[in-house]
Amino acid sequence: MTEVVFPFPFPQHLELILPEIILAVMGMVTLMMSVFISKSRQNIVAWTAIVSLVAVGATLLSVSGSDHQHTFYGYFLLDPLSTYAKLLMITATVFGMLLSLNYIKDLANVGEYYTLMLFALLGMMLMVSANNFVIMYLGLELMALSVYVLVGYQRDVLRSTEASLKYFILGALSSCMLLYGLTFLYGTTGSFFFAEMGDIIAGTGDNERLAVLTGMLFVLAGLAFKVSVAPFHMWTPDAYEGAPTPITAFMSVAPKVAGLIVFMRIVEEVFQSLQAEYTPILIFFAVLSMAVGNIAAIVQRNIKRMLAYSTIGHVGFILLGMIAGTIQGYTAIMTYMTIYLFMTMGVFAIIIMMRRDDIQGELLDDFAGLSKVRPGYALAMGLLMFSMAGIPFLGGFWAKYAVFMAVVEQGHIVLATLGVLFSAIGAFYYIRIVKYMYFDEERVSFNFAKSVPLQATVVFSTIVIVAIGLYPDPVMQICKLALAGFV
Amino acid sequence: MELYNVLDFPILSLAIFLPTFGALIIWLFIKNDNMVRWAALLTSVATFIVTLPLIFSFDKTTSHMQFEEFHPWISAVNINYHLGVDGISMPFIVLTGLLIIICIGSAWKCIQTRVKEYMISFLILETTLIGVFSALDVMLFYFFWEALLIPMYLMIGVWGGKNRVYATLKFFLYTLAGSVLMLVALLAMYFEAGHTFSMLDLMNYKFDFQWQFWIFIAFFIAFAVKVPMWPVHTWLPDAHTEAPTAGSVILAGILLKMGAYGYLRFSLPMLPDASQYFAPMMIGLSLVAIVYISLVAMMQRDMKRLIAYSSIAHMGFVTLGTFVFTQQALEGAVIGMISHGFIAAALFLCVGVMYDRLHTREISDYGGVANVMPVFAVIMLLFSMANIALPGSSAFIGEIMVLIGTFAADPSALVISAKWIAIAATISVVLSACYTLWMYKRVIMGDAIKDSVKSMTDITFREFSLFAPLIILTIWVGFYPLPVLDLLHESVAHLVEQATTSKLDAATALIEHSTALNAVTH
Repeated sequence: MTEVVFPFPFPQHLELILPEIILAVMGMVTLMMSVFISKSRQNIVAWTAIVSLVAVGATLLSVSGSDHQHTFYGYFLLDPLSTYAKLLMITATVFGMLLSLNYIKDLANVGEYYTLMLFALLGMMLMVSANNFVIMYLGLELMALSVYVLVGYQRDVLRSTEASLKYFILGALSSCMLLYGLTFLYGTTGSFFFAEMGDIIAGTGDNERLAVLTGMLFVLAGLAFKVSVAPFHMWTPDAYEGAPTPITAFMSVAPKVAGLIVFMRIVEEVFQSLQAEYTPILIFFAVLSMAVGNIAAIVQRNIKRMLAYSTIGHVGFILLGMIAGTIQGYTAIMTYMTIYLFMTMGVFAIIIMMRRDDIQGELLDDFAGLSKVRPGYALAMGLLMFSMAGIPFLGGFWAKYAVFMAVVEQGHIVLATLGVLFSAIGAFYYIRIVKYMYFDEERVSFNFAKSVPLQATVVFSTIVIVAIGLYPDPVMQICKLALAGFV
Repeated sequence: MELYNVLDFPILSLAIFLPTFGALIIWLFIKNDNMVRWAALLTSVATFIVTLPLIFSFDKTTSHMQFEEFHPWISAVNINYHLGVDGISMPFIVLTGLLIIICIGSAWKCIQTRVKEYMISFLILETTLIGVFSALDVMLFYFFWEALLIPMYLMIGVWGGKNRVYATLKFFLYTLAGSVLMLVALLAMYFEAGHTFSMLDLMNYKFDFQWQFWIFIAFFIAFAVKVPMWPVHTWLPDAHTEAPTAGSVILAGILLKMGAYGYLRFSLPMLPDASQYFAPMMIGLSLVAIVYISLVAMMQRDMKRLIAYSSIAHMGFVTLGTFVFTQQALEGAVIGMISHGFIAAALFLCVGVMYDRLHTREISDYGGVANVMPVFAVIMLLFSMANIALPGSSAFIGEIMVLIGTFAADPSALVISAKWIAIAATISVVLSACYTLWMYKRVIMGDAIKDSVKSMTDITFREFSLFAPLIILTIWVGFYPLPVLDLLHESVAHLVEQATTSKLDAATALIEHSTALNAVTH
């Protein structure tokens, strides 16, 4: 018998990647389950997926530490930031699955749906743990391919397939841009590791300057596509509108978190020395996103499209934190995303509940008179809308507050002023929903889906938002801790 | 007397959160509409009683903050839950407590739909209002200031008149757009003054002229919208017209005071040099408000609009008194604010009483109301006279003090002579007599020709009891303002001192002034 010899030394600290391994295994297990379990009992798959996500979260907490830990020769990184981002994304995925339970029941291939969500999450978890462009890109594509399919999951619905196709083509284009930019960077630096690339870029002379800047520009544009920053936001409204609503909720939070973490890492570690060059680009992205998002949302009649533009606006605000480029700025980004997660899930849970026979209530008019029929949901929706608008005693206020504080600290007062003005414009379309619910007469009657997971999501997220609004300190502290050692 | 202070009893916190607590109880446990009304009334009376010790154990001999409470709140960014009152803010807290009782009483019969939500909004509004006037941390102030928009938005939008949606959106967006700029200014001050949100620290920090200039502009926009000053006043007549009676009462009685209070709390003490620099502009805008808006008021056919415009004109007196930097004028401005709280509230109640009977606010739909409602006619006469600032009413004390103070103002600080400013302001006394009396004549006097008017009945005991405290206070302050002035005196003296003490070094002041101006103008 010949002895089995590994052609390479076995990686150390493999336990750091245990959460991802569990996730991958469970993804395949649920895939098998969906084949063997009868269609009427497919919710078992969903609950298995949810339970395995809890297990992934628990494993993650047990292996994570307060410092930077590496495995796979430094390709894979587990630091407080990635741990926290993963927790956010796991939470978003759990919420997304809870929202899907009733919604997706009647479609074909129900089980695969949850499998795809697990694989999308796996991709995102690899992205935020990436210490290297190769891993980052692999995670990104795993996530993106899964989400393309999820967006088009209602294959009998024309707009769903159309949205999926649009998203796929533009997504592929953005990946190409990212790769194109990477070739420039690799050609100049000869490395794919973030930190190493950053060091080499810092030392490059004038000759390589142009190549580095071109690379940076394309990488930033590619990433901007992924997190729907204007002017690369075109796919967002269509994809949001066409996707099954739980997927819209899921994709407006989880991929954004992953994308922004990668954005933060690349800006902070790779392009650190080019701050003077990338800051104007980020300012352009941020201001344009706030403007496009908040102004275009006003004319939307479909709430999913409106929320798509609202997301673009929110990402614009989040970019302000990146422009600040300080520990406060990054803390603000994490705080914003945490609060945004709960606001979004609450809002989408209410939207999903609004079903009339087979028709999903998606138009703004559908909210008319909701406060008389369903005062509880109207109250929750109202609070969430005021929170999105950034009115105090609700979480959304502190999200915006943290961002503005970070930019003002860096002396970008004009930028902060623009930001608050756009947030005032944005308030218009949020409070218009409140107007429909409280001031208008009911037009169509809805049979609200009676579903415990949905109701629980609404109640839970509203309570969280009010609690954060009244006492934001814990969230802000945790987000600050998550950034320990990052900047 | 000092028992409350000795025990460190958190009166202010109790006054802030008692209404919310009451609202929570109503929301969770009370179903019956009548029970809701009584529970709301009970809560508001209890809150008012809680605020009374603020008057009775107030130390008039000091300008220091009293009844202070301090707890760390958001340690991540050094925001604290810091409350306290001085002679300027304390009267507004008590006034809020009183007016909320009146508002709830006035809504007793005329609000029949969604009574529960209405009362809850009102009680939450009370929380935010008392919070605004007692906050000593600027972020806490901003927190209450903005949170107030939610109940007010719902109140006008749900229980308002025909055009309520337009009015309420306009109200919301105007005031929101104004106050978000304040947020940027507050953040800028935080970093400049060494990471503090404490109002008292910011008052002591020496901001240089450039900072003061820009921060003043941001505050100016925020507060001018709230006051409202000409030309950003247009939301007010719409909001007033569409709001339910109680909404108008609280809007005129308290909400408008927040803007003027902001000038007293932020602009004057924190930015004295910019305040001096902008004083001519502020005085000019105040005069426009006083004279031009009085003329506009005269043209109104809707009673609520008329009173709304009259409110803007009277608030012009307040801003005028604020920006001439004399003790009398400032005391007059504060008295004017308090007195306007009584009078405008009462006038809106008067309109509400008539509206409950005929469901119209057009002046031309009335005439000869005195024949069928004699008691009401006397009450309305009393408040119309008070609106003109007839001697013996609280408004007289406020306006005369502002005028005297303006005459006495330091002429070097003003562009045109103080005498002319005062004379221009005096014109409005005549104008306000014109529009108020003309309205009174057309509505109340003459024969009752219309059948609808003949069918009106005189006010009930419930309605009378809403007016009673306002009548007593208007006349009492009019004849014997000394107790109120005593409360204000030390705090206003301290404020005048702050507002007239430059934060710039004498040597650099001039240079900075001119370079900053160059920077601004080029």
